[in-house]
Amino acid sequence: MLTYILRRLGLAITVMLATLVSAFLLFFAGPADPAQAMCPEQKCTAARLAQIRESLGLDRPLPVQFAEYFKGLFVGRDIPFGGDTIHCSAPCLGMSFLTNRPVSEEIFSRFPATVLLTAGVVVVMVTVGVTIGVLASTVRGTALDRILIGGSQVFGAIPYYVLALIFALYTTRFYSILPQAGSISDGVIQFLPGLIAPWIILGLVSATGYTRYTRNSMLDSLSMDYVRTARSKGISERKVVGKHALRAALSPIVTILGLDIAALLSGTLVTERIFEIDGIGKLSLDALGRDDLPIILGTVLVTAAIVVTMNLIVDIAYSFVDPRVRLS
Amino acid sequence: MSTVPGLGAETEELAREAEEAEASHERDDQRAGRSPGQIAWERLKKDKVAVVCSIVVLFFILVAIFAPLLTSLQTVDPVTGVKADPYAVHPELVDLNGFPKEGITSSHWLGVEKGIGRDLFARWTYGARPSLIIGFVAAALSTVIGVTMGLVGGYLGGVIDRAISWVVDFFLSLPFLLVVIAATPIIELRFGARGSLTAEQTSNIRFWLIISLLVIFGWMGLARLVRGEVVSLREREFVQAARAIGVPTRHVLFKEILPNLVGPIIVSASIAVPAYITAEATLSFLGAGLVEPTASWGRTIADAQNSFQSYPLWLWPPVIGISLLVLALSLLGDSIRDAFDPTTRR
Repeated sequence: MLTYILRRLGLAITVMLATLVSAFLLFFAGPADPAQAMCPEQKCTAARLAQIRESLGLDRPLPVQFAEYFKGLFVGRDIPFGGDTIHCSAPCLGMSFLTNRPVSEEIFSRFPATVLLTAGVVVVMVTVGVTIGVLASTVRGTALDRILIGGSQVFGAIPYYVLALIFALYTTRFYSILPQAGSISDGVIQFLPGLIAPWIILGLVSATGYTRYTRNSMLDSLSMDYVRTARSKGISERKVVGKHALRAALSPIVTILGLDIAALLSGTLVTERIFEIDGIGKLSLDALGRDDLPIILGTVLVTAAIVVTMNLIVDIAYSFVDPRVRLS
Repeated sequence: MSTVPGLGAETEELAREAEEAEASHERDDQRAGRSPGQIAWERLKKDKVAVVCSIVVLFFILVAIFAPLLTSLQTVDPVTGVKADPYAVHPELVDLNGFPKEGITSSHWLGVEKGIGRDLFARWTYGARPSLIIGFVAAALSTVIGVTMGLVGGYLGGVIDRAISWVVDFFLSLPFLLVVIAATPIIELRFGARGSLTAEQTSNIRFWLIISLLVIFGWMGLARLVRGEVVSLREREFVQAARAIGVPTRHVLFKEILPNLVGPIIVSASIAVPAYITAEATLSFLGAGLVEPTASWGRTIADAQNSFQSYPLWLWPPVIGISLLVLALSLLGDSIRDAFDPTTRR
């Protein structure tokens, strides 16, 4: 058990380190002139370029730069910036050249919006997915089953951003059925109504996969002997399905959910762009539009860290539940 | 007993299964020696969904191939005096607010673009090209890489296998969309975009860059699948026999093991195509994909969304195009998977 956890932990750490190194190399050794790439203005003056180079420490050798960046991540560092020195505290990911604020501060201020969005989506996704999946499994082979499963297949196959865009245009802009997203700085209570539309559409589209998982998982557990025993004892069909079969069917669904939350957190990019939600996704897209590379790099690293951590948690939690995992 | 709905259904099913098993025995006698590929092909031809989806996909492929011909079917525009062209800008076709002066005409079947007056029908037909090329080329390349990595890792084992598995884990933990968005401007600068290059050259760089990034982030799933299969095939008698008589490793891999994996490889490739097309359209929509002047459905959707209320004709054709194409390819992929899977019963 301990060996498995240690091995898994080692993998997570090496993957994270490799992400850091490759992101750093891509960023600092990639383009012909990083200062040019980072310059927020269209035509960059020589003085501005020199200032950016100095603040990035680009005149120093690459390993020294990396050591500095690495140190900044754990203990913080001082960044020379426009004449004076700014202290960038612990998870230091550099400075945004557009807002002159530390990247980590920018990212953490956008975090709540993305987390709220993801949390609501998970609730809608699991409720709708499991309900429809269970319903389809109890009526398997009928017309209703085919409509539910076929419908979820079609719905899930259309590119998500197209569905989300059309939904957003009709519900929040064209007809104003649902409120448009506000800013989270107005307070969480004012912010939540604007999330209803993205919760619905992203939740429903993500639920299509769960519908099929749940149906298959339910069909497996409904064919088990203990379900037959429960039925032969005269327990009502509702209880047989809801209590006996569903409980066993849920465990694989929970595993997939753990892996999906990480993907959802990083995959809210499109949703945030379409519904104009001030989350991490929109932050990185705005940064892309303005070539603010430190922000983009920071969001990549933070998201990768979330994905790696979630995978690790799911794997370790699963190894407690299912001992076979440890052997492979 | 019949009051319990599940049991009645179960008995019926058992009876049906027994019949099916008998029938399949009879069939086996007549159809000895058919490959899994042939069986899948037979099943696929009988699948109505697959047939309809193939027709839809074929329609889009024809649209893409004959885009210039289709565009030239439109009549000469009385205002500009020339036939429509996907790249020609005609500000004289729009009014001062940027709205087209006329809607659907015989010279512009889908109207003209708001603001700069490019022909939307031409943009639409040419827009099918990058989607299909990116989808199929990226799927082909990532399949080749995934199969090779899986074969080599699974067959050789040891350090090489662990290294490949680690790379797979590494790529799987990167947030794909974000990394592509971050990498695109940097790599583009490396090739000198935005400097001396023309818009067409930049657009071309983007095109191949997207294919490369999709391949780099797309081969891992198949590599894992193939590796798993190879690890079990490696121990089978026919492979050991081949090794025992001194068949070279390359031959064992590609002539002995690979033919057994045709099913999963075809399935994985057919599911990859719509995924890549969606990824390209999403990237173009987000501003990290194809750039002007290449006609792309994703870009048109991004441009048209803000004028949706006043000019919906701009948005709908690319939306319908991408949705229908991806839907047909996905459902076709599902059908192909079912056709190769002996356990599916519809």
